[in-house]
Amino acid sequence: MKRSHVVCGVLGAVAWTLIASAIAHAQDKPRIGGVFKAAMIGEPPTLDPHTTTAVITQQITWHVYETLYTYDKNYAPIPMLAEGHSVGDKGRTYTFKLRRGVKFHNGKEMTAADVVASLRHWTKLAGRGKAIGKDMEGIEAKDPSTVALYLKEPMPALLVGLAHPNNAAAIYPKEVVDAAGDGPIKDYIGTGPYRFVEHKPDRHIKLVRFKDYSARPEPPDFFGGKRTAYLDEILFVPVPEVAVRLAGVETGEYHHGQQIKQDQYDRIKTMPGVVAQIIKPSAWSVAVLNHKQGLFTDKRLRQAMQAALDMEPIMAAGFGHKDFYRIDPSLLFAEQAAWYSKAGAELYNQKNRAKAQKLLKEAAYTGMPVRWITTKEYEWMYKNALVAKQQLEAAGFKIDLQVVDWATLVQRRNKPELFDVFSTGFTFNPEPAFTTVVECNWPGWWCLEDKDRWMESIRREADPKVRRAMWEKVQILFYEDVGRVKFGDYFSLVVNGKGVKGLLAVNELPLWNVWLDK
Amino acid sequence: MKAYVARRLLALVPVALVVATVAFVLIHLAPGDPAAIIAGPDASPDDVQRIARQLGLDTPLYVQLGRFYGRLLRGDLGQSIFLRKPVSEAILDRVEPTLLLTVFATLIAVAIGVPSGVISARYHNTGPDQAFMALALVGISVPNFLLALLMVLLFGVRLGWFPVAGYVPLEYGWLGTLRSLVLPAAALGLVQSALIARITRSSMRDVLYQQFIVASRAKGLSERAIVYKHALRNALIPTITIIGISFAILIGGAVVVETIFNIPGIGRLIISAVLRRDYPVIQGVVLCVAGVYMLVNLLVDLSYLVIDPRVRYR
Repeated sequence: MKRSHVVCGVLGAVAWTLIASAIAHAQDKPRIGGVFKAAMIGEPPTLDPHTTTAVITQQITWHVYETLYTYDKNYAPIPMLAEGHSVGDKGRTYTFKLRRGVKFHNGKEMTAADVVASLRHWTKLAGRGKAIGKDMEGIEAKDPSTVALYLKEPMPALLVGLAHPNNAAAIYPKEVVDAAGDGPIKDYIGTGPYRFVEHKPDRHIKLVRFKDYSARPEPPDFFGGKRTAYLDEILFVPVPEVAVRLAGVETGEYHHGQQIKQDQYDRIKTMPGVVAQIIKPSAWSVAVLNHKQGLFTDKRLRQAMQAALDMEPIMAAGFGHKDFYRIDPSLLFAEQAAWYSKAGAELYNQKNRAKAQKLLKEAAYTGMPVRWITTKEYEWMYKNALVAKQQLEAAGFKIDLQVVDWATLVQRRNKPELFDVFSTGFTFNPEPAFTTVVECNWPGWWCLEDKDRWMESIRREADPKVRRAMWEKVQILFYEDVGRVKFGDYFSLVVNGKGVKGLLAVNELPLWNVWLDK
Repeated sequence: MKAYVARRLLALVPVALVVATVAFVLIHLAPGDPAAIIAGPDASPDDVQRIARQLGLDTPLYVQLGRFYGRLLRGDLGQSIFLRKPVSEAILDRVEPTLLLTVFATLIAVAIGVPSGVISARYHNTGPDQAFMALALVGISVPNFLLALLMVLLFGVRLGWFPVAGYVPLEYGWLGTLRSLVLPAAALGLVQSALIARITRSSMRDVLYQQFIVASRAKGLSERAIVYKHALRNALIPTITIIGISFAILIGGAVVVETIFNIPGIGRLIISAVLRRDYPVIQGVVLCVAGVYMLVNLLVDLSYLVIDPRVRYR
């Protein structure tokens, strides 16, 4: 072979590689513009995240409002509106330095006064905020860009609390908070990459790019770092019918459809214009027992219920497809290495009918019906309950399954005289300190001295290893005392149009750094 | 005649009062609570109570009922809990899509139902009659949500002729509105047309056996003139009644079809209000729908005057 041929060949190969990589690069390069339409399951109950724990409120509003901290990919808090912080007085004083030049959507610059007003509102109204508020001595603006927060006791989980997107410690302008008083805010103004334009109920919620957005300088890191609004506009369209959410993404009407039925997964994989995303982890399915009143104040009956259940058929009925559920005892997910634990696992998924029958006998159970409230509005709750009912009745329980709508369920569960069990799901939580999973002051009222003491210690302790050990104790108690009955983890299915790029597969739906390919 | 209309309009008042009271009592007796929905799934009972207090839901029911009557007397339907606007405004926002959908669906229903009923009656017990009546039976039996979803699959997803869901308001051009309403109107109209066809057929059959039809035939009128000019007009009263009723039902919100096709009309308004227990909206919509129902009935009764000169109201 001639040398010139070899040179030509090599040059040709190099050229092709360059062209190919240029094409690939061009495809990866974010494109600015476009209207993103997200098909949502319904309407948010409010647009003030301080006042609700509804996931849909978080998914929409966190494009508008920002928090002092947010999460990196390990769910560790990293600064967002804060520049950084220092801790003094043996962990009892946090001094936050704020970023300068951050503008609200009304053109005003964010200052310490806005942060103080917002955090006061949040610690008064939000569930997680109140948990922090009761240990808070005070909060004050030191100067326009410095905020000091004083605690009665050290609270290592404070930053996680400030970073959590749900029921978020969103920062609003002071005048908006002042106008709201103790109620929800009425003007939706934040510092986020998208600003609120209009809410037309049952039609859409419209956000547009905020031109004066001041992004962080660091590269994007999960929820943190630089946020770029590539999209001109975002429309959150309520589409309550699941078949229509899917069909809409298939025809290109919507770019994103949430909560698609998991049993459709195999079919969706064959659809040309649709990309399926599995949100993992999403939540776990649970039967919450009433510890305050009724049958399940008897520990032996709770243990009988826990012993009787076989989780595989329960979860299979609820979620249809093997890729979407997991039989796992851990109260925080396998994806959360710092908290994942099998402590107490021997009491989970026992499938031991004989043991259940023995316990029922010991408790002298006379066949009084167990009132279990569930709903078909979340079909998996109903299906989980239906299969569990069969298994429990085979063991000797009598179950009165009361199927109601969600609004009735969330009302009745607050009244201990009305139920023995209710169905629900616990969504992903990065940190045990603020979780409702083992909370005493929450429907079901699982209050246990040892457990509550451990939980208090977790909130105070700073050493991660010690905190983990404490959490394992709580998890063991969860199974020994049968705090609630966990069925299993489940994952949700969302669909995106082919042109959607850069969307993280997480429940929170972050649409900054997302763009639409032509 | 004027006195008759005035009397009928006056009769609206006591009916409205009864409807308002029944609606109020029923929805407040039903379990469920807007405060729990606002607070979200992880909220504690204390948070729910605080929100209920802010909404004034912790006062006794008779006090709330008294306030409701007081507002009604001033013509005020109250303020929506979730929409943050007056109920009357929320209803007015939804009138356009529901009215257009209803008119469109009724046109489809009449255009298909009346001719097929007439043809069936005229060619009684022949092939066309049996074919139409078999189709009508299918039409009455198929639930409209199933028909709607099948149409979405065929015309929206497979063929791509129409959008799968959504409503384009008139302000963005009537062509877009029309396109967005074709599938939902067809889903509603086809089911209604089956009912209209069956009623038209049976009343036409009754008329076609009457003596004046025999007389018309004897004096040599063409069959066409007998059927379309004399028989049809006489057979229209039950048909008009059924068209009026179905119009009134549709304007009260085609709940299922509006939900499937994502049309922000009265039906969606009431269903989301019921799911979230937005009491003022439920009360307001029920009251308005009852009013529309009665007005449509009145119009139907008055239309008899035009069709049948023998009818007199005093």
